[in-house]
Amino acid sequence: MTTESTEVGGVVKSDTPPAAPSTDTTRQVVASTIANEGAMGERILDVRNFSVDYGWGEGAVRAVDSVDVHLDRSTVLGIAGESGSGKSTLVYAITRLLRAPGVITSGEARFNLGSNEDGEHVIDLVTASEAELRSLRWSSISIVLQSALSALNPVVRVGAQFEQVLKTHRHDMSKVERRARAAELLGMVDLNEDRLDRFPHELSGGQRQRIMIALALALDPQLVIMDEPTTALDVVTQREIISELFELRSRFGFAMIFITHDLSLLTELADEIVVMYAGALVERATARELYEAPRHPYTLGLLDSFPPMHGERTELSGIPGSPPDLAHLPTGCSFHPRCPFALARCANETPPLIEIEGSGRSVACWLHVGDDGAAVPVELNRVSTSIASPSERVTEVSS
Amino acid sequence: MTDEMTSSVQLAARHLTRHFSVRTPGRLFDAKRVVRAVDDVSLDLVGGEVVGVVGESGSGKSVLARMLARIVTPTSGDLVLQGKPIEIKSKRTLDYASQVQLVLQDPFASMNPVHRMSHNLLRPLRIHGASKQDAPGLAEVALRRVSLEPPSRFLDSYPHELSGGQLQRVSIARALCIEPKVLLADEPISMLDVSVRLGVLNLLRGLCDNDRLAILYITHDIASARYIADSIIVMYAGQVVEQSRGTTLVDEPTHPYTQLLIASVPDPSDPTRDTPPTGERAQTDIAEKGCRFSPRCPHVMDRCREEEPPAFIVGENHTSKCWLYADHEAAVGVALSTRRKEGETATT
Repeated sequence: MTTESTEVGGVVKSDTPPAAPSTDTTRQVVASTIANEGAMGERILDVRNFSVDYGWGEGAVRAVDSVDVHLDRSTVLGIAGESGSGKSTLVYAITRLLRAPGVITSGEARFNLGSNEDGEHVIDLVTASEAELRSLRWSSISIVLQSALSALNPVVRVGAQFEQVLKTHRHDMSKVERRARAAELLGMVDLNEDRLDRFPHELSGGQRQRIMIALALALDPQLVIMDEPTTALDVVTQREIISELFELRSRFGFAMIFITHDLSLLTELADEIVVMYAGALVERATARELYEAPRHPYTLGLLDSFPPMHGERTELSGIPGSPPDLAHLPTGCSFHPRCPFALARCANETPPLIEIEGSGRSVACWLHVGDDGAAVPVELNRVSTSIASPSERVTEVSS
Repeated sequence: MTDEMTSSVQLAARHLTRHFSVRTPGRLFDAKRVVRAVDDVSLDLVGGEVVGVVGESGSGKSVLARMLARIVTPTSGDLVLQGKPIEIKSKRTLDYASQVQLVLQDPFASMNPVHRMSHNLLRPLRIHGASKQDAPGLAEVALRRVSLEPPSRFLDSYPHELSGGQLQRVSIARALCIEPKVLLADEPISMLDVSVRLGVLNLLRGLCDNDRLAILYITHDIASARYIADSIIVMYAGQVVEQSRGTTLVDEPTHPYTQLLIASVPDPSDPTRDTPPTGERAQTDIAEKGCRFSPRCPHVMDRCREEEPPAFIVGENHTSKCWLYADHEAAVGVALSTRRKEGETATT
């Protein structure tokens, strides 16, 4: 099997069919078995050095710049950032839903379909063919978009939209079974079966978004991508949908990528959060650590942009200036013109995303590079109380 | 004291009501149904104060703002501008518009995209009587007031050349350039990037403090209302369900809807708290009879389904439209009067 393999885009593709046919008859994926990249294990998605441009040549605008993200099975990765930070572009590109003039210029996105006796079935979404992608979409990866009104077909009844999905991917189901499954799915998101006979415009925003979630879960996917699913909804509806979503997740165990600009919402629901600014990752940490002890000045500013619900009213400053124009990015660190802690080198050199020693979290900021952390401002050197190990606290006290 | 207080009330609304009649979808010849978009809302906009109106979409908060701007004609109710009663059924006068200005949610949609900012700013100035020579200077002053420096750069730019935050500042400048006394801001920050929202909120607060502007701040984000407002009104289905001075309403919500609203706000500073009692799938239907929140209310009683509750006093400058507080009122009244007496004795 390995002798006749050819390498395509960093992934070794086999010319011959796998020795033993896949036991999973529903997923007709031509599995591209990886040879030397190492097993992915619990990891479900591994995106490396991923870049996306809008346009070509001179006029190209880099929307996503060398991003590395990964997530494990049954975990929630939160992507936070403002509009134009590239968070939606990133997931559209990973799922290959990006349309021209968007182009993936570098990187790989390896998706782990799970393992059986042949070993792992890993597919690189960047090099996957349309046929492979079609069999993956809905059944392994599904996506819920911000505007359910534009995601649902306005002239087709809700029931028929479930019918379409199930008919395409589950050939063995009869019409009656499909209808029953659709009703069951609606029940999962707390909607009455009679909604199947309605048109999307007859439903409220919250109900439509529930239907999108039910559709996304129709084929029991391993990864569900949520692109600002609740931004257009009221806060009470948002809370209901989020708690339902998490109930479903604990039942079915799918992994989730959750995109939003609302960092406080993300802190409540994500395991790990990455913060994007101007197309690049600026910080990665577990949700509690990021909230309690941000390391990047942008993350700090973003957290300070949400007025609190408790305590004394104090004036907050937010972040001065406005988000950058991707076509005319500042030199060096893209955030430096708005950064209150900017150093001289920030204007010239772009900081890489590097791990802070021994903490398992990463930040792209010169303040945290070199020296012994003496230059790090107090605000960016807080200790996360819920996670901090005793040893870390001792150093904090002694310094 | 009281004279001074009443004189600084710039715009007062009494029992403002707006009903829209709609047809039931799909039934062409059926009787029309009435949607009570805003029902009996009274409020005072005082110079130097921000009144925050919080509600979900469909609660009638935007219709309220449009009635105050006199773009929508109220079904009934009264408006009093600087002590002068307004004939609500008549057409809005230029004089009214020069005192009360509205800023809308989407700055990209509220600016003419084919004209420079100078056009967008000079037009209201010219309409409101500034001479051709004075207008550009006044426009520059207005841009400086919203911290857009240098003004000349912004006057020459087109809407697409500015960011959302800058554009919203220009639309605030446009409203301010004719020196109104009342600014109605309808969700001014919800379309803006998270990092620039606070800048606009601080700007509004500054205009209120420094220029004694009366501001109505409409939002669905209760945390931002808590941040800038001097008093907060919570609306549900066209009615005011709870209102208070300061942050009392957020810190000690009394109405079940306000409690639900506050419990639903993501709050990572309190990871231990329980998920809010959304309970069984909330029925979004609004009751035609009794309390409008009763179908969703966790504390619903028989009385709530029959009679509409009045606004009960639940604390100092704090009312709640809920039957739960029917017996409270007397008790609270006594408590308040004793507190006031204590205060008097303390000062004397």
